Amino acid sequence: MSMQLVHPYEGLFNRVSGIFAIIPTLPDRLSDEDIEGLARLLPAEMSKSLRAVLEPGMREASLAFFKALGTWVEEAAYAKENGKKVVLMPFNFAPEIIYMFEKAVPVTTEIITTLGTIALDKQGDKYWDFALSMGLPDTLCSASAIEIGSLLTGIDFQPDLILSAAPGSCDANSKIHEFTANYLGLPQIMIEKPADTSRRARELYLTYFKAMLREMEEFLGEELDEDRMREVMEKANRAHELYDEIWEYRKMVPSPVPNIFNAFIYGTKYTVWGQDEGITVMQKLIDTCKRRVETGDYPAPKEIARTYWAYLFYYYDFMEFFNWLEQRGIAIVGDMPSTWFTKRIDTSSKESMIRDLASNSFDYFMTRQIGGKSILLDWCDDITWACRELSANALIYCGHHSCKQTWSVYAQMRNEFMKRTKIPTLLLQGDMWIKRMTPMSSLHQQIDEFINNVVARPRSSRK
Amino acid sequence: MEDIKTLAEEIQNQYVKKWKDEGGRVLGFSCVATPVEIIEAAGILPYRIKAIGSQEKELADAYMSRFNCAFCRSCLQLGLDGTYDFLDGLIETNGCDHLRGMFENWELAKKPSFFHYLRVPHFVRGDSLAAYEEELGLLGGAIAEHFAVTIDDRALDQAIAAQQEIKGMLRTMYEMRERGEPAVTGTEALAVVALSSSMPAEAFKALLEEFLKERSEAKVGGFRARLMLGGAATDELYFVEEIESLGGMVVADTLCYGSRALWRLPDSGGGPLHRLAEGYLRNLTCPRMFKHYEQRRDFVLETAKRAEVDGAVLVHNKFCDLHAVDNVALHEDLESEGVPVLLLEKDYGARADMGRIKTRIQAFLERIGR
Repeated sequence: MSMQLVHPYEGLFNRVSGIFAIIPTLPDRLSDEDIEGLARLLPAEMSKSLRAVLEPGMREASLAFFKALGTWVEEAAYAKENGKKVVLMPFNFAPEIIYMFEKAVPVTTEIITTLGTIALDKQGDKYWDFALSMGLPDTLCSASAIEIGSLLTGIDFQPDLILSAAPGSCDANSKIHEFTANYLGLPQIMIEKPADTSRRARELYLTYFKAMLREMEEFLGEELDEDRMREVMEKANRAHELYDEIWEYRKMVPSPVPNIFNAFIYGTKYTVWGQDEGITVMQKLIDTCKRRVETGDYPAPKEIARTYWAYLFYYYDFMEFFNWLEQRGIAIVGDMPSTWFTKRIDTSSKESMIRDLASNSFDYFMTRQIGGKSILLDWCDDITWACRELSANALIYCGHHSCKQTWSVYAQMRNEFMKRTKIPTLLLQGDMWIKRMTPMSSLHQQIDEFINNVVARPRSSRK
Repeated sequence: MEDIKTLAEEIQNQYVKKWKDEGGRVLGFSCVATPVEIIEAAGILPYRIKAIGSQEKELADAYMSRFNCAFCRSCLQLGLDGTYDFLDGLIETNGCDHLRGMFENWELAKKPSFFHYLRVPHFVRGDSLAAYEEELGLLGGAIAEHFAVTIDDRALDQAIAAQQEIKGMLRTMYEMRERGEPAVTGTEALAVVALSSSMPAEAFKALLEEFLKERSEAKVGGFRARLMLGGAATDELYFVEEIESLGGMVVADTLCYGSRALWRLPDSGGGPLHRLAEGYLRNLTCPRMFKHYEQRRDFVLETAKRAEVDGAVLVHNKFCDLHAVDNVALHEDLESEGVPVLLLEKDYGARADMGRIKTRIQAFLERIGR
């Protein structure tokens, strides 16, 4: 069946890598004319994404980000030729852990899906449809099921190992990765997050983490080398310092951090963290923020709202999402995936690095909040802290049908959050990676009404 | 049998009322990974929360969402509307994402005087078994402290023995059900297992003894096909009844409110908590466990072969990704072993949907030539 529906060259990863292989060859500086010429050559979806991210004010940073992703994809595509194994993993796991091994390269399921969504003609729809045609439920997460759908055809690029840290924080994600490993006969390594935040839970997680590293060493036939670990961790630490710097920029009013940078920050974190490219991208993001502060450059007459996003964004139309918001003065000052509770790694010894890496994995986005003792309170605590830090005046939650955990407590989390902060909230529904579910025009309308009638409305006119 | 079915369909049956009237305390739990022996050793009645096909969800929907499984929402509904006010406390488990949300909301809304979170690992390994054993100790400690009772090894051993005896008797019932001419219907078996976790063990044992004696020579006839029912957490007696009304006799199941709970305690040695940890975790043939698909597959295949079924119906409640995805894999494995499979998505307690379900069952029976 797969051969009839999807040809080898049509696999999601293969198509994405085909396109992204070109990006590193682009010059660092592109003129408006260059962009326009490129955009005209490309399919509609990619053309729109390209225009969105290559706006003059952030072009250099965007190019650096996509070049980094291009290198990342290429490394995976040529891994086998270079004697390396490809480790497919969900987003809630630190790629720098994979980079500590000389013989492994990471590929992140949800990032490949997102790249397909922004760059491919008709996005990832057919891979989702393929997964459903196998009988898999339409209640799965499209972020993973699109890339997994392509893998399941059996004719796309295949990883050598599936590594998942989702058990304990996301059933849908854990289950589809387990299913795929079984279906394709791939080895799998999984690490569980104990549903707790206590010291005991952290110690237990460390035990699991060490067991996971031993399994990796066994699979790769490579013992972790302390010097290599340190080299990777120092790069991760440097990128983390730059992240902290961006956090300070986010606090400014108006925010000099372009909305789309939130996605770039975690896009970088999930792919090239611990590599030179990670540092380069973070530095370029800062350069843009700094320039915007110096020039006072802002895409709207004024910042009318400072929104914090409680979970994820919409990725199927960059232009109509990130840019549309920004042009109306609606800043995205932060979101959960790019709000980190991780720390810099103590590189003094192998043990200290492992201990801190385990601690960071424990505190990774989603693992920390949804895999916590209480989804409701752990999630609410982190959002409350971030909104106060960033002076947010609106909270928006995009409810993806697959996020059963967040959906199960959202109503009470919102009540608790509003009680604590008095910040208004908006609930949106839709699939972040599939545009045929909820039209962007409907999202525009809901956001517009919320911002104009609740958030930006002068207090004196409220009854 | 009518008595057992009626009792099973009541949330607070006469035995629970009597227990409460006599000053007994009741602890509610939901997941099959909760060792009831610890609760019983404390002299408290363990009660497995169920909804028995309840259709109302409006209160629960104000807390959870329509993207959450209707079984959990139905249970929460009964928690919120006061049906479960006879419980003296709740034990949460991280059975699945929906269940976690159900318990969090229940705790928030009702603020039970006793609430304990029993964390069940998702893997079976040396380190996770040790962690689970520690969790069982914490559970026992929390119960002992809150209810001012003592839980010692002797009481635990007695509770383990009592539960093993009941499980053995339930296995006997399952053997009678799997006969060439079944002595027990699928509806009856589900009712008996549902009741087993809703009343005091001694009283249940007496009822079950009587039932087994009464049915020892019975022969249920007039059906078209022998079916196995697997998949979702379901206590919907009407659902099985409808399948059987079409001629599909459910002679075996792999349900969590069914045969998944009937394992034998392994002779692993050690103290009672160690044996409970080994027994519960190693026999948790639930899709919430990871890297143990082979165990679940073998359990399902062995059940299907032993019961000589003509086909298997694998159901999942809408939005239950764990069962829905596992069922796709089981579908392939069963069919490759020559067992035809019907994959069925349903909504818990949605009786209005039974027309569609019945049509699918009828088509399946025709497909397998029955």
